[in-house]
Amino acid sequence: MPLIEVNNLVKDYKLNVRKKGLLGSIHSLLVPEYKMKRAVDNISFSINKGEMVGFIGPNGAGKSTTVKMLTGILVPTSGQISIGGLSPHRDRRKNAMRLGVVFGQRTQLWWDLPAIDTFELLRYIYKIPEKIYRQNMNLFNDLLEINEFMSQPVRQLSLGQRMRADIAAALLHNPEIIFFDEPTIGLDVIAKEKVREFIRYINREKGTTMLFTTHDMQDIEKTCRRMIIIDEGTTIYDGTVEHIKESYGTSRTLVADFPEVIHSIDIPGVEVIEEKGRKKWLRFQKDEVQVSNLIYELTQKYGIIDLTVQEPEIEGIIREIYQGGIKIDESLCRVC
Amino acid sequence: MGKKPLFNIFELFVLLLKYAKLSLKSILEYKFDRTFITIAIVCREMISVVVMFLILVRFVHIKGWEYNEMFFLYSFLFLSYSIFVLFFAGMRDFAEMIYSGEFDRVLTRPLGLMYQIIASKIDLSAGLGHGIVGVILFTKTAFSVGIDWNIKNIVYYIVILISGAVIQASIFLFASCFSFWTVKTDNLRNMIFFNARRFSGYPISFYPGIIQKLLMFVIPFAFVNYFPAQFYLNKAEINSFWNGFLYLSPAVGAIMFVLVYMFWRQGVRHYSSTGTSR
Amino acid sequence: MRAYVEFAKKAFQNNIAYRADYVAGVINAIVMIFVNICIWKAIYEDEQTVDGVQFKILITYVVISFLMQCIYAMDEYHIEYKVRSGAIGLDLLKPMSFSGYIFSYNIGILVFRVVMQLIPALIVSIVLFKMYPPFSLSMAIYFLISTILGYLVLYNLNFIVWISSFWFYWTFSLVTIKDAAVMILSGALLPLWFMPQALVDFINLTPFASIYYVPITIYLGQVPMEEIALVMAKQLIWALGLFIAGKLLWKTALKKLVVQGG
Repeated sequence: MPLIEVNNLVKDYKLNVRKKGLLGSIHSLLVPEYKMKRAVDNISFSINKGEMVGFIGPNGAGKSTTVKMLTGILVPTSGQISIGGLSPHRDRRKNAMRLGVVFGQRTQLWWDLPAIDTFELLRYIYKIPEKIYRQNMNLFNDLLEINEFMSQPVRQLSLGQRMRADIAAALLHNPEIIFFDEPTIGLDVIAKEKVREFIRYINREKGTTMLFTTHDMQDIEKTCRRMIIIDEGTTIYDGTVEHIKESYGTSRTLVADFPEVIHSIDIPGVEVIEEKGRKKWLRFQKDEVQVSNLIYELTQKYGIIDLTVQEPEIEGIIREIYQGGIKIDESLCRVC
Repeated sequence: MGKKPLFNIFELFVLLLKYAKLSLKSILEYKFDRTFITIAIVCREMISVVVMFLILVRFVHIKGWEYNEMFFLYSFLFLSYSIFVLFFAGMRDFAEMIYSGEFDRVLTRPLGLMYQIIASKIDLSAGLGHGIVGVILFTKTAFSVGIDWNIKNIVYYIVILISGAVIQASIFLFASCFSFWTVKTDNLRNMIFFNARRFSGYPISFYPGIIQKLLMFVIPFAFVNYFPAQFYLNKAEINSFWNGFLYLSPAVGAIMFVLVYMFWRQGVRHYSSTGTSR
Repeated sequence: MRAYVEFAKKAFQNNIAYRADYVAGVINAIVMIFVNICIWKAIYEDEQTVDGVQFKILITYVVISFLMQCIYAMDEYHIEYKVRSGAIGLDLLKPMSFSGYIFSYNIGILVFRVVMQLIPALIVSIVLFKMYPPFSLSMAIYFLISTILGYLVLYNLNFIVWISSFWFYWTFSLVTIKDAAVMILSGALLPLWFMPQALVDFINLTPFASIYYVPITIYLGQVPMEEIALVMAKQLIWALGLFIAGKLLWKTALKKLVVQGG
């Protein structure tokens, strides 16, 4: 029995066609004019306990609307959501007890106070037993080193520190499910890595189910096994990260440094996509051209000083999917 | 399946105190600023008191109201406003929560929405500012207008102050609710509230009938200070009103709150079907 | 000069955008006038002279005062905003005088207020409230000049308060206290003739009377012809004095800004 079950989820927005000004807004209030927009169009999926799932999609694709429905902020137009048997909207408060939410762009910490004050408050909001509170605080300090800035007012913290504190705050009550909305936005590389590592650890040790929305593909690659791609309100992919790489990341790029400048390379199936001095970037399909053959041929013809073979970044693949360059095979969906 | 509440009354009360502690701590982060704001509010509110005082020094009484009675009437406005911003400032300012997206966070917490709104804010500066002016006026007048402060009168006084606070909170909450429909109403709200309050500084008998009706039935400020004051002063002009009005403030507060609460529920429903107001 | 006209235009357009503020402003002014008239009516009902000269003078005083308040309103937090957001650093790099910019910005607001608020409020007032016209044509002209001088006194006083945002993070308190002082001491809410002599003597040592009381009493014809030049000279001196004080404070503020590196 999956922990999260979503069936035929639909969300229509009634967009207020707004008029400007006070009189205009009173008019819109009394005689509302609406435009319908389907933000989420018949989405279904299920997530098991302990899974880590990344939601990705371009802006306005419907992913944050979906997350808002899962967290009980929005009511679906139709379709069902069940989180461990509860409806996030109808059983909002009960459901909230089992949920942790991190909004990357918005903090839940009291701005003018040390973070520890918010933690103390959360202890009462979620009725966290003293023992668990202590345990978690120690754990979070070990992994995120939050104690070093716990007693400074939140407004004085760096973005990385604040995010660490925010994530700890959302996890304080041992939620069964955590939603991360852009958890690494604006962080530097080291801070990002620290956050990801922490997330992985918690998932492993506590078996917490985790859902992400993010723009940073690295977040997904480094934490999730599964990802759901949403575009124009529908799921266009639901499967493992490796799978999408294997199926669509079939091109390889060979970066070769030649002893002298070469004007043209004429090998079938190989395309020069960039050149810089004696260096050339050569793209080919891995099932058309064998790397070893290609290297052999190049060495024979021109000689090679140095070379590397690059796999396509998942980011590039996703970009192509959005742009319609890659057509997702229907059968691929829901492989897991 | 019986619905067992997640929190009992006692837990909610303790949590309310925790929230209050954090609010007060936040305020104390800016001790100097906040003190200065309180002083400024006292100055601002004292202007109308001083004007009234200077007029009464010159004319002794207006329409049979002498200055102790006038200031006694006025003190209700300050004291009830003070209670209102100390306990219900969140209801006044909650439109900001919607604009900032903070309301989404409120929806993901295992607590009642109105509870969180009320718990989230204390406006100590305004509470103290208005409170100081109110206490000065009250102590100067309450013992020289012939009121016998027996138990009954004291209890009714407290009830009336709370009713006044609830009436004002309801007016503000009503206006804030429009933000669920993405309408900015700060101006309209301030205009309605503060103009009504301006009228209420003086006995409503000073005004033409239509304004009196407005202050009784539309923006019922008459139940914040005029009728409560008349309960104690019993000036002859009260005979032109129905006697029952003197006791009606708590009922007006309760009814207003219930109506506005229903409107608010409607707003929340609208919000959760449309999402952000941005 | 052209640039400053543009700033004023910009401020004017900005204000147009806030139509709600504009409607609220007109209604506020009318309600305030109405409340005050009701109170004075109640007072004079006791004195049995509601139709008397005294009452009509007071009504006129109240109406003129609130109409002046309508146009004397300035953007009290513009400099504070510039300082806090750091935008002031950029403004100082531009080839213009910052105080000139602030002044033209407020002139834009003034023009907006005159056109969009004063005129409708004036029309409503003339129709609804039975006020006296100016005492005479010459007094009407002196009233206009005196009102402009009053504006300048208030503007320069405000400027000093605004500049304090270089030292205080928030100026709300200072602005509010200043407003309270202006409202009561300048006779905006209550004519000085109702105040105790000791207070009036004190007010005469301050710039406050120059702001509201002097122009209104000129309108009412209460200032004798031979004293007009004197009271206006006094207004001018206050405007200049406060202007110089503001300039000096501005210099100090700039030094502070340079020392702290913006």
